[in-house]
Amino acid sequence: MSEFSTVRVPKVDTIAIQLTGPNQVKLSGTITQKDPASDLAGFFKALHTAAIVDKLGEVRADVSGLTFVNSSAIRLFVDWATWVKNERGHRYTLRFVTSRNVTWQKTAFLALMSLTKDVLAIEHVS
Amino acid sequence: MEIAEKSPISQKLAPHPLVFMRFRPAWAYIDGIREFGRFFCQTTFGTRELADRACVVLQETLENAVKYSSNSPDSELELSIESDGSNIEFSVSSLPDAAHLSSLREELSGIQTLDPEQAYLAAFVRASNEPEASARLGLARIRYEGGVELSMKEETGGRIRITATGKL
Repeated sequence: MSEFSTVRVPKVDTIAIQLTGPNQVKLSGTITQKDPASDLAGFFKALHTAAIVDKLGEVRADVSGLTFVNSSAIRLFVDWATWVKNERGHRYTLRFVTSRNVTWQKTAFLALMSLTKDVLAIEHVS
Repeated sequence: MEIAEKSPISQKLAPHPLVFMRFRPAWAYIDGIREFGRFFCQTTFGTRELADRACVVLQETLENAVKYSSNSPDSELELSIESDGSNIEFSVSSLPDAAHLSSLREELSGIQTLDPEQAYLAAFVRASNEPEASARLGLARIRYEGGVELSMKEETGGRIRITATGKL
């Protein structure tokens, strides 16, 4: 069994989180807590570490169902992309699956892409 | 002190706001007020694009106001939404602690030297380069994603008013 599949999924009010495959995570709902890092930073870090242990070529993070997030939550995605960018050993592509219909996703992931385009991929769904 | 002059647009706006709320600075209220703002803008102006922009402006301005409000009994927040038919103005008045006031002045001055997109990108770069530091993405996000310009006015009694003004 892969490390990625066994990462413990946190229970967070307002967010549904599922590991949907050996390299896939899906988040939906809203993230507007005062300190979303306390719920999610450790989880994202565990996924990142597991992806390296599993030597994954790609991690798919489907955020298309995240209808609204605050800037502290956007920071968590910046951090995740930065961990991949700064990884000296095994590197994987972090693919964010985003919705064309959700405004924050268009602006945030475009900005993130400009920062970490060598490790990031953006996929749009309707 | 006024970081940015109140725009000519805001001076033309109606004396009676379309929305006025006063409430204690509690995090628990933010989601509800943001979603009311979405509903209000969608219903009044009929565009989802404006409703989405309103959500960003309200979420980030109210988060800042709640996070940095003083413990004084006079620290109630005031939110108003006004429009002159061409422009919309969101205004949040709060009583911040003194330490926050100087960093807010500095941050507002800093982001206003760049256009909104450049300032948002610069905030991402800063967040990436300083992983242990506070994100400080919020104000840049308001300008870029919210499509508004920001100004800050210092009022009597230590209160400040953050105003976000943009096209309808």
